[in-house]
Amino acid sequence: MPELTGYVRPNGRVGLRNHVAILPVDDLSNAAAEGVARLIQGCLPLSHPYGRLQYGEDLDLTFRTLSGHGHNPNVYGTVVIGIEPNWTDRIAGAIAAAGTPVEAFSIERSGDLTTVQRASRAAYRFVQEASSQSREAVSARDLVLSIKCGESDPTLGLAGNPALGRAVDALIDQGASVIFGETSELTGAEQLIAERCSSPDLRASFERIYRDYVDFIEQQGANLLGSQPTEGNIRGGLSTIEEKALGNIEKTGHHPVSGVRAPAEAVSPGSGLVFMDTSSAAAEMVTLCAAAGSVLHLFTTGQGNIVGHPLIPVIKISPNPLTCQTMSEHIDIDLSALLLGEISLESAKDQILETFLRTARGRMTAAELLGHREFVLTKLYRSA
Amino acid sequence: MAHRALIHRAQDDVAVAVADLEPGERLEIPCQDGSQTQRVTAVQAIPLGHKLALRDLPEGHEVLEYGQAVGVTTAPIRQGEHVHVHNLRSKRWGKSVAGQASQAS
Repeated sequence: MPELTGYVRPNGRVGLRNHVAILPVDDLSNAAAEGVARLIQGCLPLSHPYGRLQYGEDLDLTFRTLSGHGHNPNVYGTVVIGIEPNWTDRIAGAIAAAGTPVEAFSIERSGDLTTVQRASRAAYRFVQEASSQSREAVSARDLVLSIKCGESDPTLGLAGNPALGRAVDALIDQGASVIFGETSELTGAEQLIAERCSSPDLRASFERIYRDYVDFIEQQGANLLGSQPTEGNIRGGLSTIEEKALGNIEKTGHHPVSGVRAPAEAVSPGSGLVFMDTSSAAAEMVTLCAAAGSVLHLFTTGQGNIVGHPLIPVIKISPNPLTCQTMSEHIDIDLSALLLGEISLESAKDQILETFLRTARGRMTAAELLGHREFVLTKLYRSA
Repeated sequence: MAHRALIHRAQDDVAVAVADLEPGERLEIPCQDGSQTQRVTAVQAIPLGHKLALRDLPEGHEVLEYGQAVGVTTAPIRQGEHVHVHNLRSKRWGKSVAGQASQAS
């Protein structure tokens, strides 16, 4: 097996990609960020629709998500652009405090054209510096990874998720940290996750997050039966949220849960298996993981979820023969032979670990090749 | 030979099709926990990924899959029949559904 390689950052963290991010603080700054990305080759604009008149917990989450992307270990350096200097400097300050090179620009009293010119010079320097950096041998202990399933169907519970669970067990044995989440999709299996928490305090934190979520749903007077399972899930054969959840948690493997986090809260290397409170919507969940420091995401899909992310490679794994046949360009690992009993779980796990290693070393994923760069902020409530 | 359906745990009430099953198809279904193969005839078409009953199930029966309750039957189901949203309902989100008693923990 070839060795694991990555980019070692000044703060000691390890990335598997070497991006230069152009990070708008707010919706108004997307045009300037995209302007910079059109001028300077090799940088990525992270456009999004929020960042104005948010307050309280919702604002904190947006700040945490934006700055977390700015200092994700897959990023060499970040250019922050905001409409006014105060919030712009808050985001840039958090990125600088994490040890990632950052330059910040605000548009008021300059206008888009002057801002694009100044920000482009910063992006020019960052891309040139990033392009002269080489990969080095690194250890799995340096990595924070994340997992999710999407457009689930029973083929995941039978094959895809048990195989990913074995791979997650092996990666954690090698010292990697792995984030899972999807609070709503634990319903019916939440007691099994609670039992795996490594301490009574951690179990209490997990149970509080789960209970808050259920209370929130009940306060809305909403009926989640219409959206969990989703129409795609039902078409694939999943009948209830409990059935979906029991299949879902197979991918978490067998290690104890050794951490519980708020959405987008940082996860450091050496954290083991960590639960994060997240939505189950694919792009929101992957975005929160990237904000927390994940550098690669392993994603199982039944009916064919095609999500990607701008900064972190998302490896797509499917055991559904129809999906692998009709959507092959989206699938990195075809495990249909496992579903049909033609290969063992052990051999499926090895396939996942081999593709993980090749992707970590730089091989592009299906989502990267197809330009899937979904960057979706989780909004907790409406703005002021 | 490749199997056509799978059971998660020996005590489960349902198996999951891993190929599109024809009505009248006789199945020998292995169990993932290595317990005994079960013989069932599909009495209707069961699409890939969908469930069929391993035994006759009365209405109001708590259905086991993964060895855990995944919902309650809303109609009697015969052995070999399709088990899905038309005859199986979640026990959860109880309080979130107007007019229903709480069943959520």
